[in-house]
Amino acid sequence: MAYSITELCEGCTACARLCPVAAIAGTPKGMHTINPKRCVECGVCARACTKSAVADAAGNPLPRVPRKDWPKPAFAAENCSACGICVQACTAGALAISLPQFRGDLRVSAYLANEKKCVGCALCAQDCPMDAIRMQTPEVAA
Amino acid sequence: MYTPRYAKINLSTGEIAEHPISRTYYEKYLGGKTLAARLLLDLMPSGLDPLAPEAVVVVNTGPLNGTGAPCSSRFNLSFKNVLTGGVASSNCGGSFGVMLKKAGFDGLIITGAAEKPVRIEALDGELSIIDAADLWGLDCEETQEKLPKAYGKLVTGPAGENLVRYAGLASGERMAGRCGPGAVFGAKKLKCVTAYGTARPYVAQPEKYHKYVQEWVRFVKNHSMTGDALPHYGSAGLVSKANASHALPTLNFKYGHDDLADTVSGETLAETRLTRNSGCVSCPIRCERRVMLDGREVKGPEYETVGFFGPNIGAHDLDAICRLNYVCDILGLDTISAASTIAYAMELYEDKGVDFGVRFGDVSNLEEILRKTALREGIYDELANGSKWLSEKYGGEDYAIHAKGLEMASYEPRRSVGMGLGYATSNRGGCHLNGGYLALLESVGVLSVAPQKPRSKGELAVFMQNALEAVSAAGCCLFSAQTFVPDIFFKLGPHHWVTRLVGKIFTLAGPVLRLLMAAGPLLRLNTLYILPHAQALRLCTGLPVFTGAFLRVGERSYNLERLFSVREGVTQDSLPGRVTRTPQVPGDPSTVVPLEKMLPVYYKTRGWKDGVPTKRTLKKLGIES
Repeated sequence: MAYSITELCEGCTACARLCPVAAIAGTPKGMHTINPKRCVECGVCARACTKSAVADAAGNPLPRVPRKDWPKPAFAAENCSACGICVQACTAGALAISLPQFRGDLRVSAYLANEKKCVGCALCAQDCPMDAIRMQTPEVAA
Repeated sequence: MYTPRYAKINLSTGEIAEHPISRTYYEKYLGGKTLAARLLLDLMPSGLDPLAPEAVVVVNTGPLNGTGAPCSSRFNLSFKNVLTGGVASSNCGGSFGVMLKKAGFDGLIITGAAEKPVRIEALDGELSIIDAADLWGLDCEETQEKLPKAYGKLVTGPAGENLVRYAGLASGERMAGRCGPGAVFGAKKLKCVTAYGTARPYVAQPEKYHKYVQEWVRFVKNHSMTGDALPHYGSAGLVSKANASHALPTLNFKYGHDDLADTVSGETLAETRLTRNSGCVSCPIRCERRVMLDGREVKGPEYETVGFFGPNIGAHDLDAICRLNYVCDILGLDTISAASTIAYAMELYEDKGVDFGVRFGDVSNLEEILRKTALREGIYDELANGSKWLSEKYGGEDYAIHAKGLEMASYEPRRSVGMGLGYATSNRGGCHLNGGYLALLESVGVLSVAPQKPRSKGELAVFMQNALEAVSAAGCCLFSAQTFVPDIFFKLGPHHWVTRLVGKIFTLAGPVLRLLMAAGPLLRLNTLYILPHAQALRLCTGLPVFTGAFLRVGERSYNLERLFSVREGVTQDSLPGRVTRTPQVPGDPSTVVPLEKMLPVYYKTRGWKDGVPTKRTLKKLGIES
């Protein structure tokens, strides 16, 4: 099952630009569609849609969420093995492995290097084999 | 019941079809190079030229790829060996294997040849053949930059396009270097395979598996080799160890020790050039070196590359080694075969005056020569055929350092005779990893199992070969097998009496190993400390893969690959005269590889007659030839 886009879509392209798995196709001002084979139901498109034109797998329309309220990954460095699975999963390019602090420093770990790029898809947290990533909404973090 | 998904692509006709894998095949061969060897035997007509259009190449993954298990990003290519004419398997890290699985495929079987350059794209469970005229002629780096960043990529470079016999394939900055897969792609006019998708690889018991993976990652991180030595110094850290035990090939394997080796060691690299370490996706070891070259960060050299572009050609310029490593990578050349062929050419000049413009100690023109070799320009057309071909034309077979046609790796077998046996018997040719990597137990590891004595080496080689084959079939990196040597020995150090005693005991291990291997699937004891991959495979596949069954998978692999080579007429398990006849220390006969003493024991342990698996052995393993 996958998310879908309803006729309310006005073709603003916001969802297609943010989709972390490039599952959304469409032309500007034209109706967009979601490739069901690729959709991972992360909900990023729904949160970004000003027209609430995205419906979940059951067909329920989903509300827009202001960007400041999107969830962000929080890292438990002590659990991280720096295996890079999250960095690869993050197509937005928001994550990186930290640099060594001195020559021979092996205590490096994944971190949110570019918060602005993060779309809150949670693919990093889902893929992390070490459970080192938790998604947090901003109020929880605060 | 789950079975892996394979598809067959015929580039001549453009036909794409599913290739069903039976449950029996899955249970017996799992995946990776074991299943690929079976498919090669089934699907490839015998007697074909490795570069013929009908030649089959299997690109596949193992069950653990993409599941989060440590070091589980390795994928495999199996095909007919361009250098030896026997079987070939080439293994590579990077993200391609993981992405192929996420794209919904466990393996691709490619046959036929396109008329114009093409690429194969695996997207969300669908395959397509796309024109790639715009990519043909570009180097590995440029090609990958032109493709979408998120895709897993497997590309051939100029060397492959020009059918250099030791051309490799690049995936990111990792290389499937050995045996000439780049040339096979080039002959098929296949520039690259790309993959992308979001499917989740199959795991039979997700919760238990997830928990086990976490334990396994912690175990790997806490082991002295995988958690400390390899992350600090990479594989290049072995230079000083090999040099200390006189097992570092020097001046085309004339000697095993170089007084200046420290100037190019992994320690020196870490202290003077390393910017950080990195790794393949899902690997907690992170052995990859990152170094600066012309103002930007690139992949640093591995042990083999350091050894072969360093002491083995009489050079000690670490900057040049980093540069030549990078040049080989973007051209799509196997650094081992390329550098070893150059070392042979250097000696050929000294011995017979045949001049390819290369001299011991001089690295100044090697970048240019590598580029000319990749393009097969002028006299370098001949250098592109490898050292076996050259020695057949110009002579000097004794110092053409290859086995079956594939250049040997950077471990001097005269101070690591088990490794010598491995080189000789390795199905794909002179390969340390396919050969069982006994150097780890003889010359570069913490244990020292009588490096110059043949006793028990036959059994040890069989045991290690089977274990490493099974690790590859699982989809894991062989560095994850470094934890097979218990951490306690690293803590005690190589000179502690306990470590030395255990090394001595291992020289008597032959009968015990034979017994263990005969027990086969009855061996069920399995923990993190004893073949951790087996338990991961159990939880991932749902199959009863315990220690014995796991080793059997490796044994099937070795026998299947041997069957393929025998069918193609490649059976001779031999080594060059330099290592079997000329003592490394003049006048000391213990410094040669006593191959004739080890081979009979090896064959007996394997259940082979004159290098050929017997019907009884195949029946025991359930292999139908």
